[in-house]
Amino acid sequence: MENRPLEYDYTVAKWFMLSTIVLGIVGMLVGVILAWEMAFPAVNTIAGEGLAEYTNFSRLRPLHTDAVIFGFTLSGIFSTWYYIGQRVLKVSMAESKFLMFLGKLHFALYLLVVVAVVGSLLLGITTSKEYAEFEWPIDIAVVVVWVTWGMGIFGLIGIRREKSLYISIWYYIATFLGIAMLYLFNNMEIPTYFASGGIGAWYHSVSMYSGTNDALVQWWYGHNAVAFGFTVPIVAMIYYFLPKESGQAVYSYKLSLLAFWGLMFVYLWAGGHHLLFSTVPDWMQTMGSVFSVVLILPSWGSAINMLLTMKGEWQQVAASPLIKFMVLASTFYMFSTLEGPIQAIKSVNALAHFTDWIVGHVHDGTLGWVGFMIMAALFHMAPRIFKREIYSKSLMGTQFWIQTLGVVLYFTSMWIAGITQGMMWRAHDEFGNLAYSFIDTVAVLQPYFTIRAVGGTLYLVGMFLFAYNMYKTMTSSRRVEESELQNASPMGA
Amino acid sequence: MDIATFQAYGYFFFTAFLVAVLYGYIYHLYSAQKKGTRDYEKYGNIALHDDITDQPIEEISKTDEIKK
Amino acid sequence: MFHWLEKNPFFFAVAVFVVIAFAGLIEILPNFAQASRPVIGTKPYTTLELAGRHVYIKNSCNACHSQLIRPFKSETDRYGHYSLSGEYAYDRPFLWGSKRTGPDLMRVGNYRTTDWHENHMKDPAGVVPGSIMPAYRWMFKNTADIDTAYAEQLTVMKAFAVPYNAEIPMVDGSKATVTLADTVEGARASALEEAKVIAADMKDQDVKDAVAAGQVPEIVALIAYLNSLK
Repeated sequence: MENRPLEYDYTVAKWFMLSTIVLGIVGMLVGVILAWEMAFPAVNTIAGEGLAEYTNFSRLRPLHTDAVIFGFTLSGIFSTWYYIGQRVLKVSMAESKFLMFLGKLHFALYLLVVVAVVGSLLLGITTSKEYAEFEWPIDIAVVVVWVTWGMGIFGLIGIRREKSLYISIWYYIATFLGIAMLYLFNNMEIPTYFASGGIGAWYHSVSMYSGTNDALVQWWYGHNAVAFGFTVPIVAMIYYFLPKESGQAVYSYKLSLLAFWGLMFVYLWAGGHHLLFSTVPDWMQTMGSVFSVVLILPSWGSAINMLLTMKGEWQQVAASPLIKFMVLASTFYMFSTLEGPIQAIKSVNALAHFTDWIVGHVHDGTLGWVGFMIMAALFHMAPRIFKREIYSKSLMGTQFWIQTLGVVLYFTSMWIAGITQGMMWRAHDEFGNLAYSFIDTVAVLQPYFTIRAVGGTLYLVGMFLFAYNMYKTMTSSRRVEESELQNASPMGA
Repeated sequence: MDIATFQAYGYFFFTAFLVAVLYGYIYHLYSAQKKGTRDYEKYGNIALHDDITDQPIEEISKTDEIKK
Repeated sequence: MFHWLEKNPFFFAVAVFVVIAFAGLIEILPNFAQASRPVIGTKPYTTLELAGRHVYIKNSCNACHSQLIRPFKSETDRYGHYSLSGEYAYDRPFLWGSKRTGPDLMRVGNYRTTDWHENHMKDPAGVVPGSIMPAYRWMFKNTADIDTAYAEQLTVMKAFAVPYNAEIPMVDGSKATVTLADTVEGARASALEEAKVIAADMKDQDVKDAVAAGQVPEIVALIAYLNSLK
């Protein structure tokens, strides 16, 4: 073979990095528009009456959730996999033409699916199931993308030099398997065009499950899509990037292994907490509630492990905005995984379900934990991929504080809004009649909707700062030597 | 035996089995570390020494000869 | 044994899969036969109602409106009898929703009329002052997809034995039948007949003209669906 020294090949990681940034901005921009629409309904027709169909709240809402989940987060997961995977297995993608091809194919197919999803959701082609809105042709394409990724994962593992799989790899494998199982079962559907002999729209399908069963499968999926999209792969990231950036090995590797198995077993049972007081059997509701509380243990096992990794090194948190992002992310993870189980307690859920408190919970998890961790990962990867230092440390710091303020405004306002509305819904007067009409409970939320919209806007502003910083890092930052890239990422002023 | 009964027994025993396995695993992790038969903490270094030129923590071809 | 697992990616993957699949196996599969039995009085959707349901889904009404009344006094006071599992037997997909930005619609057909919906969909804040719901004026212009609704009816009748053209027991002891046309032309005709009844209660001249010309605007189908929610 040739004598050129072998290097890690980050081509695919780089591509997915770009899609993370672009889709993140798109998804969050749509989210901010939605937030303003709730505070000021006139925003629904901001692009004029003619386009109202495509700019109103209900049409855009699935686009927001899917763009941030399957656009921003999933791109981030793929990007970090193509980076971490090579490094901890100590094998370069350049060593296998086939794996390189798979990686590029993976990205190309993924982009196609993204385009199809955006188009179909804007047109209102949806199955209505949350985070599984895609109709059957897209579902098939999603499966192909997923299998391509899986082949890439196991292919890379197959040619590895490092015998033991680092804990992050465990989490990536679990992400692959978990989503594959959930997605397949939740999207069992019959295309009506073929079943009826060629009548109606070709893309339309009908769910194989009905009513209560459909709800059960959907929330088994919906809850665990959060598990395997927002928790498992993000834990994979932090288990690699925090130790690497800080130069500290994981506080307890054994604890990380235990927390992994605990999380795998417990998470799947907790889906029932989305269906408390519904028509699914009582024992399942109770099971969902109990397991949600048990879930605190493995979640905190990982989170505490991360914080303890920084033991004796807290000066790094003050010194490096990158470490700040990760430490705050794991703090939000702890916070969010405590809040979730509280909401899953039946009596609390009776109040919280259907209110904005749930929306607040989702967002302190996604903005605080998922968003911060993915951005930190990209910040860490950029100097290694582009061989340039991070363009501006002070800009990073500014972004950190703006976004932190945004998240705090978001979840505090949604807490108040949710609990206020929940209390008003159930309030009775002295004669036992309902104290408030429904619209009373909506009107009272206007200030909180406005605060939330401001919070979301701040986060989006931070996202633009992030994109600008990354762009400068890619194009015009100072070039760095390999020796500067060992642990703490090099940053310009 | 109807399906619900089967389901309940299946659930109970499999969960008991998994709990036993988990505790066995915990015991294994910590006793192996203490006795020195296996150092789990060294795997944490996989993330730190991850340049392609770095020596793997456990090389894939050699480990087959390592005892236990 | 444990160490062997950590180094064998294949068996590791199998172990992970077993652990995560277990919950689904226990919780979900065995419930299937029981939960899909309809309660007495639950009828499958007519072609027009189902087309309306598709309009409801197309515009993600379920993003803001639930169709699930929980067994609390405050909910039954506000929305009517709490939901029963069998009432959803013909709902594919389920539309319980997860957020009530607007009120529950499970039994909206009991207390809202065609006329109310027409005004409300055009200008929500005009009917309910302070409403933050956007207007849905394009539904008065877009044409509902009757063919796809019919295709779905055929599919569920074949695949899941949904009782079209069969006697269905009602609460008062009588029998009702939801007819399903033999051909797509027949389905269009029967949907139009239903649409005429709805349009007669509406004021919008464009909608009336469209129905008279044999078209079914989305709003008419949607109202037919909303009126069927009882």
